[in-house]
This record gives sequence, structure tokens and C-alpha cells, in this order.
Amino acid sequence: MKALTHSKIILTILILGLAILPVILSDAPWPVQARDYLFGNAKADTGADNTVSAIYLGYRAMDTLGETLVLLVSITGTMSILINLGRHKVDEEAVTFSLEPEKLPRHSLRTNLIEVVASKLGPIVLLFGFYVMLYGHISPGGGFQGGVIVASGIVFLALGTELKTKLTNTIVLSRIESLSFLFLMLASISGVFFESGFFGNPVKTMQNLSPNFIILLNIIIGMKVGTSIAVMCIAMMGGSHDH
Amino acid sequence: MIIYIFILSLILALGIFALASKDLLHSVIALSAISMLSALLFTILRAPDVAITEAAVGAGVSTVIFVWAIRHTQRRDKEGS
Amino acid sequence: MIIERILIFLLFLIGFSAIVAMRNIIKKIFGLNLMNAAVVLLFILEGSRIGSQAPILDDGITHMVDPIPQALMLTAIVIGVCVSALSLALAVRLYQATGSLDLDVITKRLADEH
Repeated sequence: MKALTHSKIILTILILGLAILPVILSDAPWPVQARDYLFGNAKADTGADNTVSAIYLGYRAMDTLGETLVLLVSITGTMSILINLGRHKVDEEAVTFSLEPEKLPRHSLRTNLIEVVASKLGPIVLLFGFYVMLYGHISPGGGFQGGVIVASGIVFLALGTELKTKLTNTIVLSRIESLSFLFLMLASISGVFFESGFFGNPVKTMQNLSPNFIILLNIIIGMKVGTSIAVMCIAMMGGSHDH
Repeated sequence: MIIYIFILSLILALGIFALASKDLLHSVIALSAISMLSALLFTILRAPDVAITEAAVGAGVSTVIFVWAIRHTQRRDKEGS
Repeated sequence: MIIERILIFLLFLIGFSAIVAMRNIIKKIFGLNLMNAAVVLLFILEGSRIGSQAPILDDGITHMVDPIPQALMLTAIVIGVCVSALSLALAVRLYQATGSLDLDVITKRLADEH
């Protein structure tokens, strides 16, 4: 019985290997036309120096909209499973799970070292996150990267401080997240009024080369990604303790 | 290039260790190390945006959610292969 | 050039074999993460062969790397972590409902309850 299962597994892996083998052994040259076109026209079409930002916020902004939607759906699903995690137990004591930081249980492993280092490093990481978010059009970075770094900064603050701040309050953070999604929808529809299509960049119709639209999109996406990941991580940290 | 082969074989060895280990916390640390080595490789390959994203997401958010999942279930892998 | 592709292909196969052969659910999710990492590595590696400078338009850039695989892989990394988060939440919920992380034991206990 075990030999049959093992042989089925080995057969599956061999078939997958055979199916992917042409990708490994092919020597077709990588096409260069896209790189040449983008080298000449990316700054004139979108106004950004960072070519990667020009692609996923200018030429292919629909992909970014879809990715933001996937992030929203998955974090909503995870949070709904997280919140109901303690309610289905029948034979254990009441679970101390809550989203307000002032009711977080104090663990015995919360030493002075963690509190001092995390609470002193938190604002620096937040500052770095905002810098990466705002300079995404001329240096590596952008909305997603800055957003995840801001989320790490907020988690540092939630780990470190004893007193509650507005930044680690999950109600405030989830309101910022909903507002950012609303602004993303408004920014994408605004292209219709500027006659450059849905999610269009107004650089093409006005004749000055300013990266304002890219900066606005970076800020909106950064706030959305940052606050949603921060809410999920804070909810994970304040969970029940068993085992 | 020799540096690519070296980093890729390190990633492969860490991947095999992550799957064969009986303590799940060791596997999570190995996954975080794979993300760090990938970020280093992306920087050498002239892809700075992808390197920042992989470092922040792989070593930050992904490790946090894996450690949370292990904390609420078992830490040792009792079932074998 | 072909040795790197073979190493990435082996990483992909190891991730796939973890999904098929391991009995612990958390190890299957490890395999999903490894497959994601292998695909991202392959795209960035292949896209960097046609140039030698980073795709930021400063003065003096003449021969830049292909920027399109990098833009696609940004989306792929974020979606990979979203899938991991949701599947781990489902695994923890399954553990609470049945008390074990082994897939055969879970199906047997769920079938017994009905």
C-alpha cells in the first residue's frame, strides 16, 4: 500500500519534470524590443524616471488594481477567521482575545530589551518607510515597498510601548485603509474626466512632464497596503494563549 | 557566473533542510533565510525594486504569519514524512 | 547558464514534491512558498541577461536590464504572501476543529462527525 503511494508520487514528479524540461533546454534569445521602446518613451509617457514604476503604475495600472483587490480580499478573509478563532472551543476556559491594545495580555517574555529597542526603532522605520514611498518615481521603491516598511514600523510600535497610541489602534487603521481604497477608486475614475481613459495618466493630455499622478498613486497604494498588513499583524499578536 | 551558482545552491540546500526538519520553527527560519538570499541575488542582478519587496515581504510579513500559525498549532512535526 | 536553470528547476520540483508527498499541512504550505520563490528567481535571472545596468533613467544609462519581468514579479511576490496568509489561517482553523495536522486523520475525523 505504501509502495503504491510512493510510486504514484514518483510518477507525478517525473511527469512534471518532463513537462517543464523544454523550458530548461530552450535557447531562444530574450526579445529586446520592449526594453528599447521603454528606454526611449517611458519618461515622456508617464513622467517617472523609474521604469518599473512607469510600467506598473502607468502602462499596466489595471494589474495594480487587481493586485490591490487580491490583497483586500485575502486580508479580509484572514481577519474574519482570526476574530472567530476562540469562539468555537467548548471545553477550555474563556479566551483572552481582543483587538484593543490596552487589553493585550502581558507576557512574561516581554523584557526591557524588547521594549526599549522596539519603541526607539519604531519612528525611524516609519520615517524610512515614508521616504521610500514618496521617492518611488526617481529611485527604487514605490507604493508597495514603502507600505510594507510602514507596516513593520507600526508593528514595532505595537510591540514596544505600554501606552496606547492612535497609530496602533486597529479601528483608526482600518478606517485609513477603507479611505485609501475609496481614493484609489476616485483616482482611477478621474482619468475619464481628463480624457485619457480609465486609469489614464493626465500627462498625455497636458503637455508638461510632471510625475504628480505617479506620486499620488504611490501614496494611496502605500497607505492601503501598510495599514491593512499592520492590522493583520496586530490582530495576530494579541491572540489567545494555549499550549 | 560562479556567484549565481553558489547562491542558488545555498538556496537549494536551505530548501531541502526546511522540508526535512522535524522542528517547524527551524523550517520557518530557513524560509526567512531563503528570502534574504533571494534579495541578495536580486541586488546583484540589477533589480532593486524586486529586492526591496522580497526583503520586506519575505523576511517581515511572511515570517510573522508563519510563526503565528506554528504558535497556535504544534511546533513539532509528529506525523513523519 | 544552463546550470542555474537546472538548480531553479530542482527547487521547483522539491516544492512540488512537498505539496504532494508531505502529510503535515504546514509543510505543504512551505512547498507552495518554495515554488513561488523558484518562479520569481527564474524570471529575474532570465531578464537580466540582456543588459548591465539597473532600470532607473539617470544620466549615462545606456544599456539597461529588461524592466518588464521585474514589474510582473512585484505583483507575484505580493500575491504569494496573500495566498500563504489565507491558507495558514485555514490550517489553524482546521487544527482547532479536529485537533491534528495530519491530512488523513483530519479527513477521518471530519467524516466521523457527520
